[in-house]
Amino acid sequence: MAYLSSYSPVLTADTAAHLLRRATAGPTKTEIANFTGKTALQAYTDLFNNINYNPSPPIVLNENSSYFKQTFVTGPFRGADNFDWSSYVKYWWHAQIIRQDTPPSLLEKLAVFWQNHFVTTREMVSDYRYVWRYLDTIRQNSLGNFKNFVKVITKDPAMLLYLNGNENVKNSPNENYARELQELFTVGARDFAGNLNYTEDDVKAAARVLTGWNYTNHWYEGSTTFGSAFDLSKHDITNKTFSTKYGSTSITGVNSTTGGDTELNALVDMLMAHPEAPKFICRKLYKWYVNPTVTADIETNVIIPLADFFKSPANNFAIEPVLRKLLTSDIFYDIDNIGAIIKSPLELMAGSLRLFNFQVPNMTSETVAFRKYFSYLDWRMHVMQMSLIDQPSVFGWEPYYQNALSRAWIASSTVALRNSYATQYIWGSDEIPSPYKIELNLVEWAKSLQPNFLSPTTSPAITADFLLEKFSEKLFVTPLFATQKEFLIITILLFGSGRGTWNNEWNDFRTLSNNPTGMAYTDKFNGIRWRLQSLMLYMLKMAEFQVF
Amino acid sequence: MTLNGMGIKAFNENSALVQSLRHTAAANTDRILVMINMIGGNDGLNMVIPLDQYSAYNTLRSNISIPQTSVLGLTGMPETGLHPAMTGLRSMYNDGKLSIIHSVGYPNANQSHFRSADIWMSGVESNQYASTGWMGRYLGNRYTAYPVGYPNPTMEDPIALQIGYLATPTLQGASQSMAVTIDNPDSFYQLIGAGGSTPPTDIPPNQIGGQISFIRQQQALAVGYAAEIKAAADLGVNMATYPSAIDKNELADQLKIVARLIHGGLKTKIFFVTQYGYDTHSTQVDVNDKRLGVHADLLSKLSVAISTFQQDLQSQGTADKVVGMTFSEFGRRATSNASRGSDHGVAAPMFVFGTNLKKKVIGMNPNLTTELLPENPQPWETGRDIKMQIDFRRVYTDILNDWFGTAKTTTNSLLFRNFNTISLFSDFVETVGNGNWNNRDVWSVGRKPLASEYVKVNLGHTVTVGQDVTVKNIRLEGNLNFTGNYKVNVLG
Repeated sequence: MAYLSSYSPVLTADTAAHLLRRATAGPTKTEIANFTGKTALQAYTDLFNNINYNPSPPIVLNENSSYFKQTFVTGPFRGADNFDWSSYVKYWWHAQIIRQDTPPSLLEKLAVFWQNHFVTTREMVSDYRYVWRYLDTIRQNSLGNFKNFVKVITKDPAMLLYLNGNENVKNSPNENYARELQELFTVGARDFAGNLNYTEDDVKAAARVLTGWNYTNHWYEGSTTFGSAFDLSKHDITNKTFSTKYGSTSITGVNSTTGGDTELNALVDMLMAHPEAPKFICRKLYKWYVNPTVTADIETNVIIPLADFFKSPANNFAIEPVLRKLLTSDIFYDIDNIGAIIKSPLELMAGSLRLFNFQVPNMTSETVAFRKYFSYLDWRMHVMQMSLIDQPSVFGWEPYYQNALSRAWIASSTVALRNSYATQYIWGSDEIPSPYKIELNLVEWAKSLQPNFLSPTTSPAITADFLLEKFSEKLFVTPLFATQKEFLIITILLFGSGRGTWNNEWNDFRTLSNNPTGMAYTDKFNGIRWRLQSLMLYMLKMAEFQVF
Repeated sequence: MTLNGMGIKAFNENSALVQSLRHTAAANTDRILVMINMIGGNDGLNMVIPLDQYSAYNTLRSNISIPQTSVLGLTGMPETGLHPAMTGLRSMYNDGKLSIIHSVGYPNANQSHFRSADIWMSGVESNQYASTGWMGRYLGNRYTAYPVGYPNPTMEDPIALQIGYLATPTLQGASQSMAVTIDNPDSFYQLIGAGGSTPPTDIPPNQIGGQISFIRQQQALAVGYAAEIKAAADLGVNMATYPSAIDKNELADQLKIVARLIHGGLKTKIFFVTQYGYDTHSTQVDVNDKRLGVHADLLSKLSVAISTFQQDLQSQGTADKVVGMTFSEFGRRATSNASRGSDHGVAAPMFVFGTNLKKKVIGMNPNLTTELLPENPQPWETGRDIKMQIDFRRVYTDILNDWFGTAKTTTNSLLFRNFNTISLFSDFVETVGNGNWNNRDVWSVGRKPLASEYVKVNLGHTVTVGQDVTVKNIRLEGNLNFTGNYKVNVLG
């Protein structure tokens, strides 16, 4: 079995779709076509080269505000607008994930991974400038050097606030960050065999290394600057000794204003020298991109070699080469891994919006529509238990840490919520005005498939089988069984009658459409629409639509 | 002097004592357990306060200590008090409807939120792993084929119901969660709707097939149960006044649904509800008033939610078949930190509530002078933890054996070994080992028996008596070893 060796076949529509589903929020049909025929490496390189790290920053989206359409993340802090403006930061990110006016890139999906790795939340951090800087830090470092990333995030003002780093002072350390830094951010609690990777005393020692950092001007009305600072007087300058889990490393206390950085660098060096740390990060990436289940075989043949590469002197903890290796590997494209992950609400929502080609309002020119659109999507995500930058705890979204893995997304209540989300494509969402209303116009779609629509005598009716093929195109990652197609056509589309019924109904509708007025036309239109809606709604509720 | 066997007094066949001894292991089919998960690690030392050691308590945590005069006293228990925000629970305690179990935990505590929650939920040792939850194993044993063939005529309702969204590990069975999760019975029914035609059951090969089967099963269960849940919700009535929406008491909102479903006749055995926010590393008390703050708000909501729920059940006439328990993944450190908060700790008290409880207190106040961890701290170890007295699996044991009527051998296999009772549902206090009468470890309740309690010395146990003792009554199957001319006063 092939593992990390390069995947050599050129991409078919199916394998191109697989890459785009996993590396982005989900492809449009055009994107799938554009990536078909590329090699895995070309495709990856395109997704990398398409990254735009600095799209124009968020603006005020409320037309009643005197700051309407102005950039706000760098201006003086305004507490009265804080809730709205921090929401706009989230909407902005949603837009980067879903927008279709730029070529597909792998940045945002990876940034979501890192945001769920180094969790802070808008709810607790609150100050919109902090939230923005944190998000920007995540995005800018997503493909950079991991050790540097850890250092930057450790000193990030939002993180200092979220995990009480500011309250970690000598003689009375607050261990919150020191614990999560080891358990969640770098080495992980346990190795693959279940052995503890560090001791409680290591938590205490790391907390002492990290004493003295603080954030500034949080929620300070009118303040124009903010950041993080190191206060030597609150720093524990004694030496810190770690357990044998870290090779009994001792970090020398430094009594100087640069001591915080010096000791932090030593700490990160020590953490990442732990043999489990590179594996922990690579395993988590594998679960995100390839398969949430890591078997002993995968541990040996994928995780360990990838971790060895990650930490090798030549690579020195650079993230991008690791991602490249993973997303161009045989194991990534292995048939057993296609469809092996249950969609998160993000993949479900963003993926279907993009697959169905729903356009996103432009932030600058259609600002109010943009606000309504993303306020609605943000609410939908929240309801489905996946708010961006608002995880339930520092562990991130539960399905990424529980034993149940991606299966934890599915329970009776979320089945209901996913049904509700699917229904919106059929009945439309009133919250978003035209032309951005999220509603599939299935009759128009069917008409577009029919040659010479108005002339049943010139061209025969498209068959129910052809209609199903087009409606379900790229909707699922595996082909439907013949029995399923039959069920969808006869039981769902045709309410139990034969295929001849479709031809008759459809052709009657075509004929009546030549003079689209009166009861007969309306009845026929409604009948056709109802059948098409039943079909599409059924498919969107199918288990096959919930995996990718 | 040693007394053997049944020597002290013959018991009347009809005495409460004998009746309770006859308690059989027949499954109690209509009984319900409500589990309340306090997520984040509750600061038990500010919830149940050792008034007999107030000075030591205040020294450990002067920046967050509850002022002595504000602590709510308990009738008949002057050494212990409750947080001032918990008036509802204080009344329940005084009425015998709330039990306090002191210093619950497990050996070799883990202080990771995730791992410790995992230990509590799966019911294992700290160095042991299980992919199933303790309640999931119990339900899997009682309803063996679930979910195949469910719902069915003998069990048309969900066997466990979680109010929430994503399934808790506690209810994880061998292949999947034993629980149906709903947020609200009405909207759940609307969104799920009734079942339709039966689709083909083809499953694709490879791992995608496993995921698809799993999702289909969840979908089928949701459809199968939606109508039953809705019917119970329509029939059920709340008979107490719960907090209004502006109070944002989400726990009360959840328990309100539970009470309505119980009254509506839903035959579900386990209800699981959640309260978030206990990870109070900083500012758990208000800067100006230590009686207020984040932790006080949480405890106030907890108290209001449970006491309103209990009132509701009593008014409905359903209280006798319901018992509830709270749990949190760990307690917090006895020593506070500089940010008016407390870091992750070890043991903490648990509450059990209902009308069937036979003990008001299990265990004793933690001794804040002689029993803190680490036992011999190094100079830099300024933080001290509360030592465990009662293993949480002993609480589970009593719930499984005495509340649900599970066979003891089954319970032992569900919990992977035998645990001693804490006599929570028993009229007795019984011995769990040999030793001096005054040694709390001798007794199932983790303290010496009260004068109002029936005592049973089990076969094979010898209790040494070094002074006069008074009990309600005593049953000897083992021995009493008197070291002098002492006597056992029996109040009868």
